[in-house]
Amino acid sequence: MNNIAVRVEGISKRYRIGTIATYKTIRESMVNVISAPFHRKGTADSSPIKHYIWALKDVSFEVERGQVLGVIGRNGSGKSTLLKVLSRIIQPTEGRAEIYGSVGSLLEVGTGFHPELTGRENILLNASILGMKKTDVKRKMDDIIDFAGDVVKNFIDTPVKHYSSCMYVRLAFSVAAHFNPEVLIVDEVLAVGDADFQEKSLGTMGEIAKSGRTVIFVSHNMNAIRKLCTHAILLESGKVTETGLVNDVAAKYVKAMSQTGV
Amino acid sequence: MSTNKTGQKAANKQSVTIIKPLKGWVSINFRELWNHRELLYFLIWRDIKIRYKQTIFGFLWAVIQPLMMMLVFTLFFGKLAGVPSNGIPYPLFCYAALLPWTLFSEGLTRASNSVDASLIQKVYFPRIILPTASILSPLIDFIFAIIPLLGLMFFYGYMPNERMLLFLPLCVLVLMLSLGVGLWLAAINVEYRDIRYVIPFTVQLLMFASPIIYSSNFVPPRFQVAYGLLNPISGILEGFRWAITGTTPPSLQQLFASTGIILVILVSGAYFFQRRQGAFADYI
Repeated sequence: MNNIAVRVEGISKRYRIGTIATYKTIRESMVNVISAPFHRKGTADSSPIKHYIWALKDVSFEVERGQVLGVIGRNGSGKSTLLKVLSRIIQPTEGRAEIYGSVGSLLEVGTGFHPELTGRENILLNASILGMKKTDVKRKMDDIIDFAGDVVKNFIDTPVKHYSSCMYVRLAFSVAAHFNPEVLIVDEVLAVGDADFQEKSLGTMGEIAKSGRTVIFVSHNMNAIRKLCTHAILLESGKVTETGLVNDVAAKYVKAMSQTGV
Repeated sequence: MSTNKTGQKAANKQSVTIIKPLKGWVSINFRELWNHRELLYFLIWRDIKIRYKQTIFGFLWAVIQPLMMMLVFTLFFGKLAGVPSNGIPYPLFCYAALLPWTLFSEGLTRASNSVDASLIQKVYFPRIILPTASILSPLIDFIFAIIPLLGLMFFYGYMPNERMLLFLPLCVLVLMLSLGVGLWLAAINVEYRDIRYVIPFTVQLLMFASPIIYSSNFVPPRFQVAYGLLNPISGILEGFRWAITGTTPPSLQQLFASTGIILVILVSGAYFFQRRQGAFADYI
């Protein structure tokens, strides 16, 4: 039996500087189209350093079934880009990745929540957006509501626009906690809500990690990484510089951080 | 945490998700779409749920809007300008075409703004579901707006008849057209925000370019095919009129020409959308 859950081979993602944040206008594009024949293709490609940035460069790793892989790296090292590529939100420029089994990603909690809908309605909508089956959600509905806590339970048929931000987050996380694909991709934004609830959500993450599911987890929080993950990879400027057991990789990262004094 | 059902696990054993750069023609994965049918259902359900929240009249608005337009058009074009209406009472003549027109324009407007940044930056699903949900949710308004149509018919002595079964294929054509145009505009709208400013007045202009306040009979028979190609919704609107009143059958050549062009718009729209969708999250 194949024991690999995720195989990433040479994934690269290139961004054009300047167009990430700004929108092109039709006029600009038309000018480009019209002027295109006057540039030779070769000349445009020969100076890519100026106009492009590689957010990920030749990233390769494997995750075995049941492993919890932490992705470590400082801001801008490509962690989020990697997560988005593996979640199929953005396409890689090069390379290939294979994920075996059902896959789901939690890049934020409460995706698609609508303020006018009630808590219960939002559970249905959010769960469906995450990729859960309606029959599953209906079956788990009571668990989800219970998990969110008594306050949310009392207002479950009230539009969520009347919720406090904490209630909102509790409900949203509760749906996420009941989402169990075979391979789960999680961003650190799960560290939400008050301290009390953060403890609870970390606990839930721990349970997910121990349940034998394959998880890819991104975080800045070294404690969370050490606590939850079995293995880790270290990203630096879009490249994998370290892979191995979580404590080794985390130690290297902490050492590198202290050396540069960041 | 509840555990995965074993049956589910077995079914998923074979499933492999492959991530790689996509180039050229990205065909629609109909099996994947079918697997996401519940999401389509929930997106339509959400649209309908939030549509008339916090309004006093609720779904009456689906009826009031076309009725008010019909009244205004009847007053200005029917009574004051005396636009001929094939011998059909002008209010019925106008309302019969406004009904499918509203279905088309609502779907088109919503579809072109359907690629929701907050969703597509956070979760994967076949993006084509978004415009599809947008063109389907106005169907509920359409169904409500049939009620005053029946009222008008009784009032002017037209009985519902078996021709009205044609509503079904005609509606399918309307939806295909709004999806086709909507796919084009939605994909362009992600990169070029100009679209959202162009759509409202273009839809207004298109309305006057379509046989709603007037009849398309003024077009000589030899130009009907060209007319059907230029304005594919015109034949459909006349089809609705005919289904309701039975007076002037629509030109068949025109309808065929329209159907052909609708298919072209739909297939090319799907092609264009599929080609662009991979880059949506990079632009939005």
